[in-house]
Amino acid sequence: MSENIHNLRNIGISAHIDSGKTTLTERILYYTKRIFAVHEVKGKDGVGAKMDSMELEKERGITISSAATYCHWEGYNINIIDTPGHVDFTIEVERALRVLDGSILVLCGVGGVQSQSITVDRQMNRYRVPRLAFINKCDRAGANPYRVVEQLRTRLNHNPVLMQIPIGLEGRLSGVVDLVSMKAIYFEGRYGEIVKKGDIPPDLLEEARSKREELLDAASMFSDELTEAILEERVKEDLIHQAIRKGTLKRELTPVFLGSAYKNMGVQPVLDGVVRYLPSPLEIENRALDLDNEGKEVVLSADPGAPLVALAFKLEVTPYGQLTYLRIYQGSIRKGDELTNTRNKKKVKLGRLVRMHADEMEDIQEAGAGEIVALFGVDCYSGDTFTDGRVNYSLTSIFVPEPVISLAIEPEDHASSSKMSKALNRFAKEDPTFRAHVDAESGETIISGMGELHLEVYVERMKREFGARVRTGIPEVAYREAISKRAEFNYTHKKQTGGAGQFGRVAGFMEPAKGTRFEFVNQVKGGVIPTEFLPGVEKGFESCLERGLLVGFPVVGVRIVVNDGSFHPVDSSELAFRQAAIGAFRQAYMKAKPVILEPVMKVSIECPSEFQGNVMSSINQRRGLIMSSAEDGVFTTIEAKVPLAEMFGYATTLRSLTQGKAEFSMEFSRNAKVPEKLAEKIKEKLTGSKKGR
Amino acid sequence: MKKKLREISPWKILGTLSQKGPGPGNMGVIIARAGLGKTACLVHLGLEKLLGGEKIVHVSLEGTPDKILSYYDILFYDILKAAGNNNQEEISSLLQRNRVVLAYLNQSFQIERLKENLDNLSKQMDFVPDTLIVDGLEFGDAPREVFEEFQQIAQGIEAEIWFSALAHRHITEVNERGIPYPCNNIDELFALIAQLEPVGSGVVLKILKDHEVPVPPDASVLLDTKTLLPK
Ligand SMILES: Nc1nc2c(ncn2[C@@H]2O[C@H](COP(=O)(O)OP(=O)(O)O)[C@@H](O)[C@H]2O)c(=O)[nH]1
Repeated sequence: MSENIHNLRNIGISAHIDSGKTTLTERILYYTKRIFAVHEVKGKDGVGAKMDSMELEKERGITISSAATYCHWEGYNINIIDTPGHVDFTIEVERALRVLDGSILVLCGVGGVQSQSITVDRQMNRYRVPRLAFINKCDRAGANPYRVVEQLRTRLNHNPVLMQIPIGLEGRLSGVVDLVSMKAIYFEGRYGEIVKKGDIPPDLLEEARSKREELLDAASMFSDELTEAILEERVKEDLIHQAIRKGTLKRELTPVFLGSAYKNMGVQPVLDGVVRYLPSPLEIENRALDLDNEGKEVVLSADPGAPLVALAFKLEVTPYGQLTYLRIYQGSIRKGDELTNTRNKKKVKLGRLVRMHADEMEDIQEAGAGEIVALFGVDCYSGDTFTDGRVNYSLTSIFVPEPVISLAIEPEDHASSSKMSKALNRFAKEDPTFRAHVDAESGETIISGMGELHLEVYVERMKREFGARVRTGIPEVAYREAISKRAEFNYTHKKQTGGAGQFGRVAGFMEPAKGTRFEFVNQVKGGVIPTEFLPGVEKGFESCLERGLLVGFPVVGVRIVVNDGSFHPVDSSELAFRQAAIGAFRQAYMKAKPVILEPVMKVSIECPSEFQGNVMSSINQRRGLIMSSAEDGVFTTIEAKVPLAEMFGYATTLRSLTQGKAEFSMEFSRNAKVPEKLAEKIKEKLTGSKKGR
Repeated sequence: MKKKLREISPWKILGTLSQKGPGPGNMGVIIARAGLGKTACLVHLGLEKLLGGEKIVHVSLEGTPDKILSYYDILFYDILKAAGNNNQEEISSLLQRNRVVLAYLNQSFQIERLKENLDNLSKQMDFVPDTLIVDGLEFGDAPREVFEEFQQIAQGIEAEIWFSALAHRHITEVNERGIPYPCNNIDELFALIAQLEPVGSGVVLKILKDHEVPVPPDASVLLDTKTLLPK
């Protein structure tokens, strides 16, 4: 196990929709001998590839679809981590990115680097994931891998290096030339499972030589040894591999492979690339927050003997109970161990430990740092950190972004009602950015999350996995309130109603605190508010944040400082102080000049350059700001910041403005103040409709 | 506050000049060898203009928008730090509103496209820049007509245009007016010419030409090599 950590790769496969990620994954699992028949990808209801469809696998009597699938290649172990295909910012995507150490970026040989690829790539930059690229669909008409390489450079700012050149292209694609060994590679057998090497076809020799020069040039930047060897004309394959690996790990070079997953060409060399150039868990620095030391960052060591630190990154419901996927960052676990959940300090006993292969579940006794395993029967939330109790570390920050969009849902029939609540419960556990609540006024169930697509995914899952038939309302932007000024309070809560009275006074001020939801600062001196009542004060204030007094939106970004108060030896209680805090909040809030905030998205649009004007005008009409516009000869990529409220239906608009030739993607950027005029409208609408009820 | 931040800019030396800069409809250029911080220097210029309430378009012929925008963020942060300020929210949103980056990657720059892009910005976004910053244009290769076209753009929208020009260590030509390569044959096109030069402990930004008047003796400033802020 642990001695093999050098030979372990935890990788993701990320791609623009439809570029062939599913097909490639299936081929990989096939060549690593874990699937015994290759199916064509046929969409959700047909027979499909391994990692894509849950239902299908149940139908076939196979265990489960996996968040991480374990396979073997040439003496190496590879975990393929399923990175969710949608590009909306979600915790789920971020978490998957966090557990992988390297990635294959799949690009379509025809479509190239499109706006979604840009978003996906940016996410990977954020997590510093080293990657290699696979240019797929080289068999399709219009495929041009050289153009895609250029786009990698210009649009994604990579330093791409072709490791291969194609033999034939489009319909005539028949193999690749490996520029390291200078051999032609062909893929024979029914599913391309037999790899044959041969001489380079004479007509490609010159091109291969010149591309190899480029490869050596790029690689030699990372190895003096290779530079010398080139000068002395004694280049060895190993030296090249080492240099490429070094550049890849530093994320200063991207090795590029090509082929056609569908036609079974070029997949095995990608696997070779994964083991050669992508990092083992030992080569990645991971950090945790030490909760015993004010959340200070600590560097973890992949040492199996060190205290255990592991992340539950994905939950799944299976016929056998809840399955929890765990990535071990430090230390090791053994069946029967007792683990501590950092979030709630609860201890759990480890009953069953398994490794997920594509076609089976393997029971194992122990696992060490770097490995990805699954646990049965452990109750937890996705994102929880487990330790062996020797340290109090957390792998995820406490910060969870506020949802930006919400949607009313309603069960269509009685039976769906309980299924729906079951589903909502489950989703909330999996994903802290997904929330559900019942609106006190309308009695409607409201779900909220990080984008339209994010919620769509869950509504879809509700139907498919839980069999809940639900109706959905119109998505609505999640507005917030925030104060814009400092304001003082000094409030006494006093009540004398027979029996024991209530007394509490709190004084201090509230002020804007960007980047947090709520911060409570206790500056009380001399015990004027006894310590045992302070939690009551804090709770009182916090309870006011659920509904701002301006329009009734949740309040974010306040710091409350309490610096004075008084109590009564008999009549004071936690409850009395809670009431006092509520009164204090009401006293100060409107004085603090609250404003309405709305989520603003970073939108990235890609279109043929002649449509730039149309796209800009569509941004302008949506209260958007253009940040930049970049051309590369054919295409223009426009980046803008646009309020989410204006983005509904944008896909349709964009299609008609650009004859369907543009694409866009977006992610949450920040909350910003709603312009005065609009704020008035929102207030009117909401207070109006409330009166109407 | 904005005034205080502008005090820190390397471009406060413009204040010593006859017209405080090239002026609308005119062009300026900054000459420097590779690696001295041309782009950073232009970004500082952009920040200085933004803090002065101007609208700018930053044209990049090399770096991606992400790269340029992060330059702006980093250098703005450096300025704030130097001013001992940390409440930047309001100003930074102002910077975003008044700045657009246009990038031409992969040698795709054509002046026709720039004109069209500016036209789109003006028509569709009502965004007309007061200053246009052009980074990465190859002066050595560019024919004179290109600069004349830029001049027309500048006059058409009454904007200042600033360029960076790459000098070479091995080309030491200087014309009789003291203007070095690559501007020695086109210096009359520029109202203002500045130069970045390495000195022992940093980089010096100095003015070589100020319209038709003699350059004041104090029109130079020693900068930190990393932040390009005055030492
Ligand atoms: N011609 C061709 N089609 C492919 C290739 N790889 C995938 N496809 C097809 O492209 C479509 C999308 O593939 P899929 O693997 O589902 O893409 P995903 O959305 O990225 O998972 C399917 O119809 C595939 O059969 C390829 O290499 N060549």
